[in-house]
Amino acid sequence: MSRHRLATSLAGLLTLTAAAFSAGCGSSAAPPAGSRPAARGTAAANELAYSQATSQATWAVLPMGATSGPNEFWQLFLLPAGRAQWALDTPPDIATNGAIELAGLSGTSIVTGVRPSLYLAYSPVSLTRDDGRVWAAAPPAEGLADVPDALAATPGGDSLLALDEAGQTSIASSTSTSWTPLVTARALASTAPGRACGLSQLTAVAYSPGGERLLAGDCDQPGVAGIFTRTAGAWRAAGPVLPPGLASSRIQVLRLVTAEGRTTALLQARTGRRTELMTAWLGTGGTWTTSAPVSIAGAAVRSTAFGPSGGLAVVLSTGHAEILSGLGGSWHQTPLLPAGRAVTMALPAGDRPDALTATGGILTVWQLGDHGTRWTTAQTVKVPIQYGSSS
Amino acid sequence: MPGMNTGLNTSDPTVVAAFKHALLHQGIVAFLLFAVLVLAWVSVREFWPGSIATAGRAEARLPEPPARRLLRIGFAVLWIIDGILQGQPAMAVGLPSQVIKPTAESSPSWVQHLVNWAGTSWSYHPIQAAAGAVWIQVGIGVWLLLASRGRMSQLAALTSAGWGLVVWVFGESFGGIFAPGLSWLTGAPGAVLCYSVAGVLIALPYRYWGRQLTGRLMLGCFGVFLVAMALLQAWPGRGFWQGEMHGQPGTLTAAVQSMLTQSQPSGLADALSWFASVVRTHGFAINLTAVIVLAGIGVVFVSGRHRAARVALIALAVFGLADWVLVQDLGFLGGMGTDPNSMIPMLLLATSGYLGLTTRPAAEEAAAAPTPAQAAPEQDVPVREAPVQEAPAQAGVGWRQRLQPGNLLGALGAAPLVTVTSVSAVGVVLLGAIPMAAAQASSAATPILAQALDGSSAPLNSQATGFTLTDQDGTRVSLASFRGKAVLLTFLDPVCVTDCPLIAQEFKEASQLLAGQQSHVELLAVNVNPLYSQVSYLQAFDREEGLTGIPDWRYLTGSPAQLRPVWKSYGIVSETLPAGSMLGHSDTAFVINPDGRLVEELDFDPGPGSEATISSFATELANAADQALNQS
Repeated sequence: MSRHRLATSLAGLLTLTAAAFSAGCGSSAAPPAGSRPAARGTAAANELAYSQATSQATWAVLPMGATSGPNEFWQLFLLPAGRAQWALDTPPDIATNGAIELAGLSGTSIVTGVRPSLYLAYSPVSLTRDDGRVWAAAPPAEGLADVPDALAATPGGDSLLALDEAGQTSIASSTSTSWTPLVTARALASTAPGRACGLSQLTAVAYSPGGERLLAGDCDQPGVAGIFTRTAGAWRAAGPVLPPGLASSRIQVLRLVTAEGRTTALLQARTGRRTELMTAWLGTGGTWTTSAPVSIAGAAVRSTAFGPSGGLAVVLSTGHAEILSGLGGSWHQTPLLPAGRAVTMALPAGDRPDALTATGGILTVWQLGDHGTRWTTAQTVKVPIQYGSSS
Repeated sequence: MPGMNTGLNTSDPTVVAAFKHALLHQGIVAFLLFAVLVLAWVSVREFWPGSIATAGRAEARLPEPPARRLLRIGFAVLWIIDGILQGQPAMAVGLPSQVIKPTAESSPSWVQHLVNWAGTSWSYHPIQAAAGAVWIQVGIGVWLLLASRGRMSQLAALTSAGWGLVVWVFGESFGGIFAPGLSWLTGAPGAVLCYSVAGVLIALPYRYWGRQLTGRLMLGCFGVFLVAMALLQAWPGRGFWQGEMHGQPGTLTAAVQSMLTQSQPSGLADALSWFASVVRTHGFAINLTAVIVLAGIGVVFVSGRHRAARVALIALAVFGLADWVLVQDLGFLGGMGTDPNSMIPMLLLATSGYLGLTTRPAAEEAAAAPTPAQAAPEQDVPVREAPVQEAPAQAGVGWRQRLQPGNLLGALGAAPLVTVTSVSAVGVVLLGAIPMAAAQASSAATPILAQALDGSSAPLNSQATGFTLTDQDGTRVSLASFRGKAVLLTFLDPVCVTDCPLIAQEFKEASQLLAGQQSHVELLAVNVNPLYSQVSYLQAFDREEGLTGIPDWRYLTGSPAQLRPVWKSYGIVSETLPAGSMLGHSDTAFVINPDGRLVEELDFDPGPGSEATISSFATELANAADQALNQS
């Protein structure tokens, strides 16, 4: 074959292949739609299942439906004080695939934020002042962080505080149209109290009983509880002084909850393989009181419940729960909790603790029998989950 | 690989009907192409007698070497079969998701990325791509079949090699060579790579085919390849030595069992099922047999001994055909088979090598059959003939003169029939390639995906009900203020987690498609959520969806009392659903013409929201806006 003919043949081949290549395999005129971020998953930490009580009502949040994906819907349940029956009270007109955050519990008021899921990248916020009969929208927040206390509100929900997925904290009023940035985890870590704590990440936000903004996180420095507030234009450490026995422990703030004029912090202390839980209470006087620590060995915290008078319950991966009756009280372990896809406890005012289990579309409420050794079914709630509505 | 998913059934009637229509339409064009060229050729020879005399001189030729002929005809037939298989109804929708994607799934991410790009592109234009693949492959096959010698034959062979590479990379994910579980038994290194190798071999000048060295090299290379495949088969830790591991099927068992999942004749399924159980219980023995047979045949091929090579070739044929039936399951069944897998092409290559090995040298061939080319037996005979095929009038003239009608007719009359039909085959290849390329020139997907998902639009002819609401910037906006523009109107929930963000993307892409007409088109969405009705939610939604910079986009809201009459007048139902479900509402888009009349209602459930479907709905929207502008 002559050079000329070979060149002709190759040119023909290249032309044809280029046409076919561009035809079958895309072109430089790439479609713009591909730039859209893919839908996010719906998986939220199971620790987001929890309950919280005031003197007038108890609220509980649990995942239901499928175990993950667009058919997993988080539900909000309400038990008004003096009533025996829990009722579904999930906020309307919003898909709750990404979990529900509670804030600002006071009387019959509550603020809810819905974590991002699927194509929803921000967090709608709503509030009710009448136990969920009427809901109103508050300004939408950036996607709330995957922790139980990513949203906080003053009693009644007038002022809001949020921690987003990027570690940014922001503030807003319920009637405003937007949020104002407060501080990022990184910026807080670079302040003097942040450095003293060795702040690695923010895990909770709250309003103190006095209305101060509290930010909490995990400390790399031992013996320091990473709780911060801002006064006189500067951030300062605002956490409790820990007992000498925890001086070599790394402290994580698992929960930071304010209700009934008291902020309750659930702290986890790790020393080597030893893990202990401890509770600290902040009253209106601005001083912390701490509980005795309880060892949970190698167990993990699965969910939490807060009572109206400072009591709390911690559901562990062992299937038991540790209950602390309140200020000055002591820890005691419950019998093995009933099994369920999600399990939490509730501590209604002046009543026996409830265990709540959710499996599929059924919520089962359990109570301890007279001897306190066996859980018996007290109520079942069938939840009309709309499978497929988010897919 | 989200880009490929269209959410459509592979037998979706809308797409299948369009595919069949395209095939029929292009088939008629292909037939006419052949008919017109042949008719013209006959006519010219009838009415231009001078050209026949020169044409007759070209008929004296050396015979084509049998090794080359086998490759050429064998792979031509394979391309035609592949082309026909590409015409199966499920191919248009199914090829990306059922063939390309599964093939790439176990490959490294860079391969998946590359293949996803190709699959997504196919999904954008499934009809043009599927029909194009049919005609390209049928065209290459016919071209190879007809052009037995000369420049046309070599060009056909190189085209075959090139297209084979394209299919090997994008359709077969490099034949799975970067994926675990690579095995000659299951088709490594990819059937279509054989097509490319064969194409390169066919394109070799004739003089190489007249030498035994070529056959020896072909067989030797094939032998080395088989030994390498035997080593790979014997490599420990790849699961081929075990028929079963911890209760799970071994690699070969799993491969055979996976073939059982496709629809096929019961006899074949029984044979596969039997073989799967044999492999499961005697995995070691089966693999040992495979290793020994592959290595043994490979060594014999490398040795280049005629008689031993013949025995090895027969052994390869028996072993390969058994594998073709019992492991590869013939390759073309189940409605999504694109080729008969690797064994037939492998056997063609091996047989061709053997024929090359046993071919008499070209000099002897030439002596046995005297021809005008006898004087130069080592030369590329067909190439030397080529000038003879040209009309005398063409010699020594420039290309301008050659293109004059008289000279063209002379050249046509002088050309042999094979050349004329080969040109027709090139036309068939281009018949597939050009529409594919043309479709790709547009970044927008075909609207047929949207129509297949949601049906055709409903024509309307009524005055659009007016409303005044607040847009995302807090500005009061009335529908009447857009008189003189085409308006695309939809209803969206700003806290929706699925459909509404996708619909917003479709509107956004439609805006880009309508970029030249932005002053004549308005994209409107009305909030459909009575609880999250504040402007701040519209702004959050717009930020999330990247709509803030779209100049003709307006997201409108108001109080529930203001919104409800608007929903009602457009037939939109906004329904609160219990237990953490988002708001229920209909996915609809309306087209309002510049006179303020509703002219079209589009069902707008966005389906899976892949790049292809989003683009398809966007195209449907843009077309509707264009139509509204043109009709007013």
